[in-house]
Amino acid sequence: MTSIEQQSSSSAQENGLAIINSKAPFSSTHGKDALDIALIFGSFEQKVSLFFQGDGVYQLIADQDGSLLAIKDYLKTFSAFEFYDIEDIYVCQQSLSNRQLDENFHIDEVKVLSSIEFSAALNRHQHVLRF
Amino acid sequence: MSTLHLVRQSAFASNDFAQCLSVLDHQDSVVLMDDGCYNLKHSLMDSLIKRVDGSVNINVITSHAQARAIEIIAAVNAIEMSDVVELTFTHKKVITWQ
Repeated sequence: MTSIEQQSSSSAQENGLAIINSKAPFSSTHGKDALDIALIFGSFEQKVSLFFQGDGVYQLIADQDGSLLAIKDYLKTFSAFEFYDIEDIYVCQQSLSNRQLDENFHIDEVKVLSSIEFSAALNRHQHVLRF
Repeated sequence: MSTLHLVRQSAFASNDFAQCLSVLDHQDSVVLMDDGCYNLKHSLMDSLIKRVDGSVNINVITSHAQARAIEIIAAVNAIEMSDVVELTFTHKKVITWQ
């Protein structure tokens, strides 16, 4: 009985969009594109979850300053996520430790997940976009 | 024949830096720029510093590292873009790893 209930509750969560960020912030427009998509879905009240994996974790690290590179610093817009009801932000713990990074992020409400938890969270989503 | 190696990619995302290190000669210089700055925290960097023991000149562009909130380690020279121009004159050739 319990397993059936768990199944139905997990299938109930099988909705919404997952966006995987896998690129470092400044050398390409991938991060900005992912952000734009997330905010568009958010403004139409569609459920969006953000996943940060590989070099994508650099997008969340504190004390960065894109203005030094004459780049418009889109990372500052991450602080608007709460106004778009984007609350599920997941970071791969393995990717952080590989890069000797601390869990020191420039936004709050970031959830650091182990590889297994990270893949489980991703697999709860029906649609996935990877940048 | 000295070579200037411009490393522009993260070794966590591509194997450019590993390939660069495999052809690195003792009179060469390395400049980490753009996403190459992330390599300061890569294990390849530790082994490079141990291997060359000061004989290879390793540099990083200050503003590129600073923008990415990367701490510049003591074994590496912090330089500006204008210094890269100087380096292109003091080396026979340039390889850009990107």
